[in-house]
Amino acid sequence: MMLEGPSFTDLHAVVDEVWTTFLGPEDPLLPALPDTGPGEGVTWSAATSVSGAWNGVVTVEIPDLVAQTATERMLGVAPGEALSTEDVADAVGELVNMIGGNVKSLMPGPSALSLPLVARGTIASPSDLTEVSHLDLTWAGSPLRVSVLARRDAPVHTLDQRESA
Amino acid sequence: MHALIIDDSRAMRSILRRIVTDLGYDTTEAEHGQAALDHLEAGLVPDLCLIDWNMPVMDGYQFVQRVRDDPRWRDVTLMMVTTESEHGQIVRALAAGAHEYVIKPFTPDAIVDKLELLGLLVAEVPA
Repeated sequence: MMLEGPSFTDLHAVVDEVWTTFLGPEDPLLPALPDTGPGEGVTWSAATSVSGAWNGVVTVEIPDLVAQTATERMLGVAPGEALSTEDVADAVGELVNMIGGNVKSLMPGPSALSLPLVARGTIASPSDLTEVSHLDLTWAGSPLRVSVLARRDAPVHTLDQRESA
Repeated sequence: MHALIIDDSRAMRSILRRIVTDLGYDTTEAEHGQAALDHLEAGLVPDLCLIDWNMPVMDGYQFVQRVRDDPRWRDVTLMMVTTESEHGQIVRALAAGAHEYVIKPFTPDAIVDKLELLGLLVAEVPA
C-alpha cells in the first residue's frame, strides 16, 4: 500500500505562493544549491499536523538567516532590526500554518489542522510517520526544506483506491 | 472605520494591520476569539472583524457564532481570513454568519476586493 501525499508540483506551487505572497517576489525560490545537505544549517523547524480523512504532518526547516529575514518582512520592520525569539517563532509558525493548510486542501477531507509547533533546532518525527514528499529549495542564498509525512497506522486512501473511486 | 484583527500570529496581525491602515482604518488586535470578545464586551464596536480560524482558547468559528448570537453586534461585518480552505469549512463559516471568506496566503488586493464588495472601502486604494 502506498501512502498518499501531495505531488511535487502541487507542493512546490503551495510553498511558492506562500513565500512570494508574504516574503516578496524579489527573492524567488530556487532549486537547492549543489552540495547543500537537506539538514545543513537548519536552526528553526516548524510542524503542523492534519488529522481526519488524511493524517500527516507538514514540516518546514530553515536556517536562522531565513527565519530572521522572513520575520522582518512579515512584521514590516527594517532589515537588521532586533527581533525577539518569540517573534521569529511566531513568523515561522505562520509560514508552516499556511503551507500546512494548503497541503490539507490537496488531500482527502474533511480533516483538521493543528496549531503549529515551532522549535529552534530539529523537531524529531514520530516513528509512525513516513515521508511522502519533500522540497529542497534555496531562498536568498540559503537552504530550506519542506516535508510532508503521512501516518502509517491511520486509515489511509491508497492511490489505487482513489483512482478507482 | 475600525477593524478588529483576530489572529494568534503577531506576524499575520501585522500584515493585516498594514493593509487596512493603508485603507484608512483604525485597528485593534486580539490573539484569539476570547480576547476579541473581551474587546467587544468592553464597548468596542468595530465595523469589521478579520478573523483567523485556528486559534487557541477560542477559535474563529466559535467567535463568529458568539457574535452572531448577540444582537449588540449584529451590524459588525465578519470576514474570515484563514488557511482553512475545505468547501465544508467555508460553508460552515458563512452559515454561522461570516460575510466573507479569504484564504491564506492572500494579496492585499484580495482584501481590498472583499471590502469593496462589502461596501467597506473607506479610502482610496494606495498605488
